[in-house]
This record gives sequence, C-alpha cells and structure tokens, in this order.
Amino acid sequence: MIMEQAHENKMTRDETLKVALMVGKILLKSGAETYRVEDTINRFCIANGYEVDIFVTPTVIILGNEQVDSFNCVSRIRYRTTNLGMISEMNDMSYKFERWPMSYRGTMAWLEEKLKAQVPYGKWKVCLASAIASASFSAMLGGNSHDFIAAFITGGIAMLVLKQIAGYRPSAFWENALAGVAIGVVALICCAVSVQCTMEKIIVGALMPFVPGVAFTNGLRDYMAGDLLSGNARIAEALLFAASIAIGIAFALRAWVLWGWDLWK
Amino acid sequence: MEIITSFIFAFIATMAFAVLFQSPKKILLTDGLIGAVGWVVFISLRDQMGYSSFYANFFGTLALALLSELSARIFKQPATVFVIPGIIPLVPGLGIYKGMFAVINNDYNGGMSILLTAITDSCAIAVGVMLVSSLFRVLKIRKDRRFLIKYHGKDVC
Repeated sequence: MIMEQAHENKMTRDETLKVALMVGKILLKSGAETYRVEDTINRFCIANGYEVDIFVTPTVIILGNEQVDSFNCVSRIRYRTTNLGMISEMNDMSYKFERWPMSYRGTMAWLEEKLKAQVPYGKWKVCLASAIASASFSAMLGGNSHDFIAAFITGGIAMLVLKQIAGYRPSAFWENALAGVAIGVVALICCAVSVQCTMEKIIVGALMPFVPGVAFTNGLRDYMAGDLLSGNARIAEALLFAASIAIGIAFALRAWVLWGWDLWK
Repeated sequence: MEIITSFIFAFIATMAFAVLFQSPKKILLTDGLIGAVGWVVFISLRDQMGYSSFYANFFGTLALALLSELSARIFKQPATVFVIPGIIPLVPGLGIYKGMFAVINNDYNGGMSILLTAITDSCAIAVGVMLVSSLFRVLKIRKDRRFLIKYHGKDVC
C-alpha cells in the first residue's frame, strides 16, 4: 500500500535533486545547523532511492556522488537569518519523506511559497522584542531602573536602524557597525539626560541582540560534529560581527569624547 | 529573592529572543521557561556554590538541554527550536564583544584573556548540548536504521 502510493509520485533523478537542493537552501537560509541540512537532504534522496554525497558550509551546498560522469549541483547562499519556525516546518516535512504525498510540481510550488513567505513576526514586533530583551539583560547584569528604561529605548532604536539599513543590503559588517554606532549615540544621549544612568550597563544590555554568542557556540558545535569547514566559517563570522559592533560603539564613544561636549554645550 | 528576579528577567529575555529568532508561537512560553531554568542553574552554581564559569555553564546547559529534548518530544518540534533561544542567557556574546573592544582599544592582554574565557565558556555550552542530543540521537538512529532496512533492504545510516 505504502509502496504503491510512493510509486505514483515517484520523482526522477533530476527532480529529486532539485527538490533536495531547494529544501537544503531553505534550511540553510533559516540558520539551521550543518548536520541538520545534510541529514535532511540525505533522507530525501534515500527515500527516493538515490545515494548522494553532500557538502554543506554556511555559504554553499554541493550535491554529487562518487561516479566520475555523474550529476553535480551547487547552490550558493548569500543571506542567512535565523528562522526557527521554518526549521520546525522543514523538520515536520522530513518525517513525511518516506511517504511523500505531493508530486514534483506541487512540492516545488510549495517550497517556493515557503521561501518567499513573510516571517511570522514583522519589523515592529522584532524591534519591540529587541527592546524588551535589552532591558531585561541590563536588569540581569545589575542595572537600576533608569538603566532599564534607557536600555529599552536603545535596544529598540538600534534594531530599527539595523532593519532599515538591511533593506539596502549592505554587507552584514556594515549593518552591525551602524547598529553599534546607534547604540553608542543613544546611550550617550540617555546618560546626558539622566544622571543615574550608567553608560556601561546600558550598552551591555542594548548590544545583547547583536552579539554573536549563538553563532560562536554553533561554530563550536559544528566542530564537534566533525564539520570543520563550517565551524571555521561560523567562528570567523562571529568574531567579525563582534569586531564590527565594537568598532561602531568605539567610534561613537570616541567621537563624543572628541567633539560631543562642544555640541552638547 | 535575587534568584526569583533573575529567573523572571531571564524568562522575559529568552522569550524576547525567541521572537527575534522567529520561533513558532505556541512554544514561546516553553522557550522562556527553559532559558530561565538554565540561567538560574548557572548563577546558583557560579555565585553560591563557587563553581568555575566552565562547570557552571556546562551544568546549566545540561539542565536546559534535557528540558529541551523533553519539550521536543511533547511539542513534536526539533530540539534546536528550544535549545537556541534557551542558551541565549548563557552564551558569552558579551565576552566576545568585550574582548574585541579591548583589542581595538590596544589592550591586547586583557582582550585575549576575555576572548579565551569566552571560548572556554562556549566550549562548555557546546559540549553540554552535544552530550544530551547525542544521547537522544542514539535512540533515533536505531529507529531509523530499522526503518531503512525494512524498506530498502540496506543499512545506510
């Protein structure tokens, strides 16, 4: 019964590879770990009766096998975000691979739709979440009530700046650096307005949504899973982002020390 | 009292991060709970029982990863959806930033020691997550293997 049903929608080799590449692309764009992408693609290909070798790094997916004159597909990924909802949906999908009910066209249309779908939380909700996270972190790390409010404002504005700049698609380095400048400037203004604010506590809280702690830990997890190249890439990315935020904040603070007091007076 | 306040703030912060990471709506509260449990285990081990930062991070991660795997079974979601927001209060993002800030301000010794602490803390978290997920994966791989042998007559895992 199951085998018959599977036979009706059986995909050819090219179709299988296209769908597998698409699934991998969606997963990698949603910020899934390397082993999860490889595992999902592998499951899909095996369920359709093909054995492939998969090579995934954060920027590229390569499918092929060991025959000399065989297929080879490459997909280049340029923009990555974190979208746990999408990872969860693709995971649900991967459990149905063995008795996949849709034809090739239906599957591709469904995946295209997923790739273009809006994220569940829009820009303003994300900014609000960033503000709340910043405020909570500044309280967790020992700030007072003035710091709490200042970090709320700073974190929200910094995320808004990042989201606005992200529309122009610069490199992630500049997005983070400009968010860092925004954090520095707003924190300085808050400190100038209220005497009870401490500069350090506001900045520490407000940059929590931007620091790449999870990226760094995921890099180490990749190392431990044996994906050495992805681990290198993720750790390098995390250090680069940390450097870019640090440069942004240092620039704002230094500019304030050099010229800011004159402007304020 | 201090622990209760930090529990509440960690809960809120983790939930906010779950929104930032676009996690599904029905698991937001669970995410918050897992993150808060991890953070409370971490600070009570580090500040009250005098564990080193590495061990405090490791045991905090162990607690939250076990909870994540259990929630993953309950909510039928991958465990990552719970682990990634859950480790947010623990991950040394701040350490990496501070190290980089010190380095670009010419304090190489201070910066490198902060970065090294951040790396060891990350290692502790990664080991904790990998340990628990490996334990749970052993069961899953056995199940997969049985399935593959049944339908394809070969062992490919």
